[in-house]
Amino acid sequence: MNSDSVITRNEPKTQHLLRLREVSFSYLDGVETLHNIKLDLAPGEFHCLIGRSGCGKTSLLKLAAGLLLPTGGEVVWNNQLLDVPQNDMGFVFQHPTLLEWLDVLDNVLLPISLHKKINKQDTEQAKNLLQRMGLVNSFHDKPAELSGGQQSRVAIARALITSPRILFMDEPFASLDAITREELQADLMDICAEHKTSILFVTHDIGEAVYLGDQVSVMVEGKIHRTLTIELPQPRHNAIRHSPEFNRYSASLRQAMEGAV
Amino acid sequence: MKLKSYFWTFAIGVVCLTAWEILVHLLGTSELVMPAPTRIADVLWKSLSNGYLWPHIWQTLLEVFWGILLGGLMGFIGGIALGESKHLRSLLMPYVVLSQVVPKLALAPLFIVWFGFGVLPTVVMTALICFFPLLENTVTSMQQVDPQKLELFRMLRANKWQTLWRLKIPSGLPNIMAGFRVAVVLAWVGAVVGEFIGSSKGLGALIIAAQGSMDTPLMFAVLVVITVLGISSYWIVQIFERRFFYS
Repeated sequence: MNSDSVITRNEPKTQHLLRLREVSFSYLDGVETLHNIKLDLAPGEFHCLIGRSGCGKTSLLKLAAGLLLPTGGEVVWNNQLLDVPQNDMGFVFQHPTLLEWLDVLDNVLLPISLHKKINKQDTEQAKNLLQRMGLVNSFHDKPAELSGGQQSRVAIARALITSPRILFMDEPFASLDAITREELQADLMDICAEHKTSILFVTHDIGEAVYLGDQVSVMVEGKIHRTLTIELPQPRHNAIRHSPEFNRYSASLRQAMEGAV
Repeated sequence: MKLKSYFWTFAIGVVCLTAWEILVHLLGTSELVMPAPTRIADVLWKSLSNGYLWPHIWQTLLEVFWGILLGGLMGFIGGIALGESKHLRSLLMPYVVLSQVVPKLALAPLFIVWFGFGVLPTVVMTALICFFPLLENTVTSMQQVDPQKLELFRMLRANKWQTLWRLKIPSGLPNIMAGFRVAVVLAWVGAVVGEFIGSSKGLGALIIAAQGSMDTPLMFAVLVVITVLGISSYWIVQIFERRFFYS
């Protein structure tokens, strides 16, 4: 991040951690994938992006993380223009993307071992995180020996090992069965509430978005069509999924998704 | 189950050898054309026990070793360079392919002119043969890394070297090792063919010498030695690979 890119405009410094201002993006073919996106994320906020396949959710997530650069507008991270991923960001991909030649512990420690020598404290922290994710007996297993749900847990632990201020998640639970998915959702909410981590979470599952999100943005054809604030009580438990308010939020999100087409 | 399959593999070999032995005796085939397996075994045993074969085995082993080392290293390093740089790839790949489509046997006389008679032309020939499978597989591996893992490394702010050493090479290793196994097998072809033309010592040179003196049983005995050494080197690489890379 360049020092001259510090935002110096006359506007009050907000408490927003991440701001996307009129962001547009086109891939090399020139077709605009995202148009005029405005999105603010406060510290500790859980923001879900929901939409049909191909609506630009993943592109938006990568722009917010600094993996892609906008063709128009700007992405502001911590009051500075973002041009590359930062060390206080974590990313969980759709697939666990674990390195199959490393064991679970080394996979979790990868974000640290790329930048410094691993010490005892780092190893302890990784073990604690894995324990917290319910992987006590798998420290030295190779990823291939784990189930899909366990691999996702390792990927989340790897993203959390550097105690990031924000976590970007790209449909991380899409390929898991319903029960494992619900368990992971609950664990994720607990850990992030504990560390006050902000989350930008891409999903195409309406129920998942309502259960997890403080805010849910509906994306349609590269635009944010509507943003809904979910005012369900925290902490959320599984029973909430059957409450009338939950269903009301789900229905209005579905309506927003369908109505926009 | 595994033992049973080993038994049948062994049994097929025994049946073939017995049939060979019986046919040779029944048809009264001349030893010059097709010696019986027992005759070959006899010659092999004698030439091993009286020390006649050992200097030749040692010579070929040495050439194979240096050929694999030099050719393999060049293939691996070249593969990384070409895999990493699109520019270099488009610039040099036609020449690499060119170097491989030229029949290497036809190059052997030139190598004798350039490198003299003896170990060096054979090592160069072997290296040239070992070079390509490693280069090809390394280039392919470098380009087949999972794009999400590359993005992960970008997200973790890994530099180019870290991405190479900690992602691209380890993830390409099964492919690179497959190329290495092919190189190890081909190395024996390179060394023996090199010795046919450019050496008076080594197993290839011995086959030519045996042919000159019409000693067909010795030719077969040397062929057996080359086969056993070739298979052994392949197995050693396999064991090494399992022990160190996928344990």
